[in-house]
Amino acid sequence: MIYEFCIRTDPGLARENNEDSVTIDEPTRLGILADGMGGYNAGEIASGMATTFIKSELGRWLSQAGRHANGREVRRAMEICVDNANRSIFNAANSNPQYSGMGTTLVLGVFQDARLMLGHIGDSRCYRVRGAELSQVTKDHSLLQEQMDAGLITREQAAVSTNKNLVTRALGVEDAVLLEVNEHKVEAGDLYLMCSDGLSDMLEDEAIARILLPDAPLEQKTQQLVDAANANGGRDNISVLLAHAKTGPEKRGFISRLLGK
Amino acid sequence: MAVLIVVAVVVLDRATDAIGTLERRFYDFASTSSGRQPSDRIAVIAIDDQSINNIGRWPWPRDVHAQLIDLLSTAKAKTIVHTAFFFEPQTDRGLVFIRKMKDVLGQAAPTPVTEQLGQVITQAEQSLDTDAKLAASMAKAGNVLVPSFFVLGEPQGKPDTPLPAFALKSAVIEDSGFSEPAVRGQQPIEAIGNAAAGIGHLNLINDIDGTVRSEALLVNYYGKAVPSIALLAAANSLNLGVGDLKLNPGESVQIGKLRVRTDDIARMLPQFYKGRDGKPAFAVDSFYDVLTGKIPASKYANKIVLIGATAAGVGVQSPAPGYAALSPAEMLAHTTSSILGEHFIVQPGWGLLAAFGASVLIAVYLVLGLPRISAGMAGAITAVLFVGLLGTEFGLLAGTSLWLKLVFPAALLVIGHLALTTKRFLVTEAGKLRSDEESAETNRMMGLALQGQGQLDTAFDRFRRVPMSDPLMDNLYNLALDFERKRQFNKAQAIYEYMAAWKKDYKDLQTKLNRARNLSETVILGGGGSHPGGTMLLDGGAVEKPMLGRYQVEKELGKGAMGVVYLGKDPKIGRVVAIKTMALSQEFEGDELTDARERFFREAETAGRLQHQNIVTIFDAGEEHDLAYIAMEFLKGKDLVDRCKDGNLFPVPKVLSIVARVAEALAYAHRQNVVHRDIKPANIMYEVDSDTVKVTDFGIARITDSSKTKTGLVLGTPSFMSPEQIAGKKVDGRSDLYSLGVMLFQMLTGVLPFRGDSMAELMYKIANEEAPDIRIVRKDISDPLAHVVSTALAKRSDARYQDGEQFAADLRAVMAGIAGHASAATAPHPVAPAAGAAVPGPLEKTVMMNASSPAVLDGARASGASAQTLIAANSAPGYDSGHQVEAGHADVFAKTAGFNALGGSGAASAQDGKTDLDGKEPGHL
Repeated sequence: MIYEFCIRTDPGLARENNEDSVTIDEPTRLGILADGMGGYNAGEIASGMATTFIKSELGRWLSQAGRHANGREVRRAMEICVDNANRSIFNAANSNPQYSGMGTTLVLGVFQDARLMLGHIGDSRCYRVRGAELSQVTKDHSLLQEQMDAGLITREQAAVSTNKNLVTRALGVEDAVLLEVNEHKVEAGDLYLMCSDGLSDMLEDEAIARILLPDAPLEQKTQQLVDAANANGGRDNISVLLAHAKTGPEKRGFISRLLGK
Repeated sequence: MAVLIVVAVVVLDRATDAIGTLERRFYDFASTSSGRQPSDRIAVIAIDDQSINNIGRWPWPRDVHAQLIDLLSTAKAKTIVHTAFFFEPQTDRGLVFIRKMKDVLGQAAPTPVTEQLGQVITQAEQSLDTDAKLAASMAKAGNVLVPSFFVLGEPQGKPDTPLPAFALKSAVIEDSGFSEPAVRGQQPIEAIGNAAAGIGHLNLINDIDGTVRSEALLVNYYGKAVPSIALLAAANSLNLGVGDLKLNPGESVQIGKLRVRTDDIARMLPQFYKGRDGKPAFAVDSFYDVLTGKIPASKYANKIVLIGATAAGVGVQSPAPGYAALSPAEMLAHTTSSILGEHFIVQPGWGLLAAFGASVLIAVYLVLGLPRISAGMAGAITAVLFVGLLGTEFGLLAGTSLWLKLVFPAALLVIGHLALTTKRFLVTEAGKLRSDEESAETNRMMGLALQGQGQLDTAFDRFRRVPMSDPLMDNLYNLALDFERKRQFNKAQAIYEYMAAWKKDYKDLQTKLNRARNLSETVILGGGGSHPGGTMLLDGGAVEKPMLGRYQVEKELGKGAMGVVYLGKDPKIGRVVAIKTMALSQEFEGDELTDARERFFREAETAGRLQHQNIVTIFDAGEEHDLAYIAMEFLKGKDLVDRCKDGNLFPVPKVLSIVARVAEALAYAHRQNVVHRDIKPANIMYEVDSDTVKVTDFGIARITDSSKTKTGLVLGTPSFMSPEQIAGKKVDGRSDLYSLGVMLFQMLTGVLPFRGDSMAELMYKIANEEAPDIRIVRKDISDPLAHVVSTALAKRSDARYQDGEQFAADLRAVMAGIAGHASAATAPHPVAPAAGAAVPGPLEKTVMMNASSPAVLDGARASGASAQTLIAANSAPGYDSGHQVEAGHADVFAKTAGFNALGGSGAASAQDGKTDLDGKEPGHL
């Protein structure tokens, strides 16, 4: 399976700074997206530390383990790595007064041949487009989700709830955190979207599907997603990561081969 | 971008003459590099300074010229060209009068006198009329050419004066525009004009930079084309006349078989010859030398002789390709030679097109090619193209005398290439800057992450790779504080210095830096022997509280046998702990250190497993800055050392209750296979208020149970040691019970069961003598209790209590018995000193035992919550005999006394700077 990646992040319309952080490590097919929180730009630090640290540490592990590392090992590596990242952020928050209380959500995916090891903490999400259907493959660690799970409120009520941003798990706020890791089977043609709540709060699933379904370059889709979220208010930082699974190598155009691009 | 540059270069070329200048310079250089030889038929006679000096002020009387012409004519010069302008008649003042006199004489009647006068006057008139003389000479020579001069310009109407007849002879009719138009002209005076063989124009065409590069072959004066004097000279020398001129408008001028290629207005580009071997292209002879015969006139036979002024102030000089200044005569020589040799430089009609084509190609290369190839490749291609263009132009000019103006494309190429590569460089640099920024952010994040993981050194490494900025300063500052917390002031200092290099006045950086500097020199936690007692710096004002592992060190509680004991606090859960530290690296070296470290953690682990109400709980153990530490339950009570002295003894039931509880704790520990090895009053903590008993220092005795330590240790108190322990045999729980027995004995009586004048004697007694009956010392001890004591103190381990439960049970039985005989419970009363013992003081020597090597004696007495201070007390001469003072170990074990346990020779060393009681209290031991 060949994966094509594209990332984009945008501060949105309401915020000056961007506390999101999104990165990919193409050689190891690792995608990481984090949405930081905490005052005085500390959110940037938390999300930046999370993506940087995980990219560096997990990326190194993955490149050593090779493309066909088995699922259990990958899961273990993800957990250890996220645990280390958690402790790092937690300790950094403790020892640097200006970073006190910072934390971040996290969604990270290790894309392997026919498998996606998907881990997440908090309310940053991963969606999947398969065929003509968009589905959310992560379940938020948020108060809202728990209320919904407990049957306290309906989906409709949730959409208008005021405590949308209360997460029940986050990286770096306690000395331990539980990473939820799920294994997904990848089929050719699957398109995965990781995003911060700046996107998922601004756009209905249908709107996301309308952008993701047509056949267009990933670059263009990420731009459309960000634009759409901004068009709906852009109240938070918007970050998206797209990963498109394909079979076989990409055909390069004659001209682009000629020009060596 | 590239298009913009092309346009800019074109504009530059059009607006300024910058590239044109380059082109002309290059033309001058290349055209004069040709191998063409000047014609040897041309000679130049110069009216130079020497001639002026000898003949007189310019202008000369024209008969001087006449003389030279006569001379040359006689010598059969082929053609004589005189470049001086004879535009005005030269009239001697006397001649006017002579002519008047002649007129007067003509009117007078002829007489012999008047006839004679008339002859004289005619003679005078002839000799004074130099114009006539010159005209006569020229007419006689018949091959003298003289110049005319025209003011060039587009004529608007009719001429002021038509060309005189003599000039018309040399002119041709031309009205196709194949000539340089003129508006006015100046002709020689009629007499000279008529006498000359031809009149050609002597107009020099100066380029924009003043240099003469081209020659106008024809100047058109209202329909009459006057040939240039060079053309005329060439024709004349070929015995051809004006009639033989054939004009091919726009292409060439033909004389005879010579075809002179010209441009649209009959201009040619003459060849300017280079001088050879230091000689000028044309030899220039002095007018005077020729006139006086110094240079024989015969030299000029059959030559074209050009006469002209070169002297200062006479005539004009112009620069020409290859020459800074050429006089008209010399210029003429080059031009005439060019015509005769057909040595002209051609600008072919397709030349402009070719140059334009080259420019377009270069533009295309710049626009399309350059951005797509690598910098190195582009450089190479550009260099090749540049050399190719200029090389072509040079080759064509020097070789085939074709002038293709390729300097413009070459300039376009160079400017374009430079501009584009500069732009590319700037762009890539900007890109690099961006990627630098990205990796800087990555490094910063990794630095924070590493700091969060406690890898402060690596974190600093990462931060150092990040360009300095205010947020980074904050990070560095906090990292330095972390270092301070770990007491690594030298590292904190390094960070502060690094920060100060960027911004000196950041926060309280200077203060921090100064303090870190001072501290890093004086205090290195756990390392360096200069720090007395290894005390942590606790009151450094703003110094961050030191950290040991996860514990914040609050204050020092005391100094123990192993090292300093601190009061610590776990900031996360707020638990107060006692932290015993031990500078392993000071005590051990090399493999021993590794062993000790392993042992330390192993024992800390075993001890940590013990959970008993009468055993101090161990929370944590770790090592930091070479300082091993154990964090344990912090106890409020005191140890029992003070309660072992006569007069301060606990009542018997209390003693029994305490010892029973210790025995139970030991029973528990022994079941876990943990042997304490160092049971003594100092290691039992007791809090009176809550009646709590806790055994401390489990397993610690073993940690440093090694033969070779640097300073000497400290394990086991000989007075409390079991016989098998003294002998260095393997010990088990029963050894602890023996020690407990000794403690029981001491707590009941205030004295130890065995005493000796020397350490060796003491140990001998422990090993060999039966313990004395306790009732000898304290008479009110009941028989059962005395039996318990003697059982506990049995020499053979299998004769003692086999486990603590049994010991405890017996003690409790005795207690029950005492409770039954309430009357027996009396206050302890003074104990009589045992016979033979000088003063029944507690002998608390700690000793490191080893069967085969020197052991070390350490006098220690507990003080503080769970710590010990050391008092070495010795007096016996035998013990003293080998006394020697060791210096240099000013550390936690500052006061140690070593002696050879096995040798028994009494060789011992005591090291005690302040409290050495040697000789002062002779009865102490």
